[in-house]
Amino acid sequence: MSANVQIAVRSGAWAQLWRSTRARWCIGIVLVYVAMALYGEAVYQWHQWHDVVPSYQHQDLDRRFEPPGRDHWLGTDALGRDVLQRLVQGARIAFRVGIITSLIAIPIGVLLGALAGYFGGKTDDVIVWLYSTFAAIPGLLFILAIAMVVGKGLLGVYLGIGLTMWVGVCRLVRAEVMKQRALPYVMAARVLGYSHARIIVRHILPNVLHIIIVAFTLRFPASVGTEVFMSFLGLGVQGEPSWGIMINNARLRLWQGVWWEMTFVTLALFLLVWAFNLLGDALRDALDPRVRSQRT
Amino acid sequence: MLRYLMRRLVQMIPTMIGVVLITFILFNLVGGSPARMVLGDKASARQLEEFDEQRGFNRPLFFGRTSSTRLYAATDFRRSAGPWTGSSGVVHHTEGFLRLTGPASVPFPLSFAPLPGHRYAWRLEVRTSGEGTALRVRDGTRELPSGTSVQGWTDGVDAAGDPYRPQLEVPAGVTVDLFALTCERAHARPWQSQWSHYLGQVLRFDFGTSHAVNRPVADLLREGIGPTLLLATPILVGETVLSLVLALLCAYRRGRWLDHTVLVACVMLMSVNYLVWIVAGQYWLGYRLDLFPVWGFESWSYLLLPVLIGILHGLGPNVRFYRSIMLEEMNRDYVRTARAKGVGTAGILFRHVLKNAMIPVITNVVLSLPFLYTGSLLLETFFGIPGLGYISVNAINSSDVDVVRAVVLIGSFLYLASNLMADIAYALVDPRVRLS
Repeated sequence: MSANVQIAVRSGAWAQLWRSTRARWCIGIVLVYVAMALYGEAVYQWHQWHDVVPSYQHQDLDRRFEPPGRDHWLGTDALGRDVLQRLVQGARIAFRVGIITSLIAIPIGVLLGALAGYFGGKTDDVIVWLYSTFAAIPGLLFILAIAMVVGKGLLGVYLGIGLTMWVGVCRLVRAEVMKQRALPYVMAARVLGYSHARIIVRHILPNVLHIIIVAFTLRFPASVGTEVFMSFLGLGVQGEPSWGIMINNARLRLWQGVWWEMTFVTLALFLLVWAFNLLGDALRDALDPRVRSQRT
Repeated sequence: MLRYLMRRLVQMIPTMIGVVLITFILFNLVGGSPARMVLGDKASARQLEEFDEQRGFNRPLFFGRTSSTRLYAATDFRRSAGPWTGSSGVVHHTEGFLRLTGPASVPFPLSFAPLPGHRYAWRLEVRTSGEGTALRVRDGTRELPSGTSVQGWTDGVDAAGDPYRPQLEVPAGVTVDLFALTCERAHARPWQSQWSHYLGQVLRFDFGTSHAVNRPVADLLREGIGPTLLLATPILVGETVLSLVLALLCAYRRGRWLDHTVLVACVMLMSVNYLVWIVAGQYWLGYRLDLFPVWGFESWSYLLLPVLIGILHGLGPNVRFYRSIMLEEMNRDYVRTARAKGVGTAGILFRHVLKNAMIPVITNVVLSLPFLYTGSLLLETFFGIPGLGYISVNAINSSDVDVVRAVVLIGSFLYLASNLMADIAYALVDPRVRLS
């Protein structure tokens, strides 16, 4: 029965989310970026497959620093490469980073958080020790140190962000699972003789799913931002048009009046992060009744 | 209170050990020896070995009697003769062995003269065609029976103080087929490992030397802390004051346009990447409008722009956090009582809510104190302020492990200390905390 109630609440939450114009706009913007990233991935894979120099790396030294025009909608950069194509590739890398870091962080965080919250006792002590240790280490420095040890490149970015990001997820999931465990439906499941694994996976996790969704939406822009300045510092992506690298290139030309690369890249970055942040807020309002009551 | 304090201190110890362990795993286990990365491709094996010796990297990780050494480059004889190429009396057979024909006395081809005070363990796999072959090592001469593997030990220096090279004595008419030869560093005390070396360093507050600038790390940190504090303190103070004021205003005008505008602005401020703030600030305010100097650290005016950017960047999340605290407080019973007494909204906010909301606010501020130390990596790097953030980024770029490790370690310990401070503040204000 509790499952039915839960579904009713959940579908109400999605309906509420969809009713908000702002949330619809955000979803729209995010979908545009998703399309862009998928297109970028397709272009990238096509060039990988055919083993040719990708079009976004194609240099044309006669057409350097061209302002936005018919041939190059967003202009060209210092080596005559098309800014729009590189921007799309930047979106691909941003999504890769956002998704892969979440794929590293969320399973670790959810697993440890659920175990700690459900079993308590010694398990809880060990896991709390683990995440408080990770939390004590200064964040950005830790990420950069991991990237330094792993080596420059995308792998370092993934591992650096992923291995530090799970802490927040773990903490939230643990707190919520502890709350859920005290509820009668868990007791009922145990009386029915269900195994611990089944109770956690089938009964408790669906009820803490909203935490995970919100955490994903809020962590995504954070990882994208971190990737951008890792690449900017030269520790991140190598040889690919990441937004951080584009900003770094454009920064030096800005003084000579080459405004387009900088403007469009920062705009793209801002819009993506903004949409995700707003969406995260809207999701939290819709999915977490506790927060909703606070906002009014 | 004292008992509470002691309990909290004891609880802190596992986390501290955890931090030390994680930095160890990260830099020693995963990272391995940075010698090659640091000294470059031209460095000799001996230089690499000495680099490792100084930093304790040439010991076993946690426990062990042997560890690897660069003294002799182990080679698969099926591929090549390796360091043996050119040794007189040695012929390489592609079936996978070296043939030594007597009479000969063949010294091992070492990368460098064995270091004084070191002990090396040699392990040979040989097949001899007759009696009388001997391995001459530091602790004596050893007969080589046919078809077996033999072990021998050498010290770095012999009795006269000369570096000692082990060699094979092959009598006339005998051939020796050498299938494998390995050399390991032997340790008399197996507990003297990388871990114990590192732990000792941490306990002695010895952070080693930076190889990039060849100075003690402690000196670098001491120099960096000043500029970092000069930059980070105004940011923290300004950010806290400004966001408290805005949060109070929002709570005061809850649901009105001011509240909405500030909230919308907060999300927008949050969404602007730090980089964009820096680049745009340097370009518009520094270059176009020429209001601030852009790069350097010469007078207080060089700090204005980074401080401004730091405050702007931190404003968004802080205002939202403080506002939600204020609103939470405003739903409490005592607010209703005050309202029933006839206290106006402003009175409630400033006299009652602010005071109660101070606990989480102070916690938030205290917990962000360690960032005064780590400094803002980006701000310092891009405004050329020679603080700890600047030092860290440079160290990461030149893989200066000792510096990075020291900053990470101290930053974590400061975080734990400020955590403790926040807890004490809590317990002082709220007696219920002490009992639970």
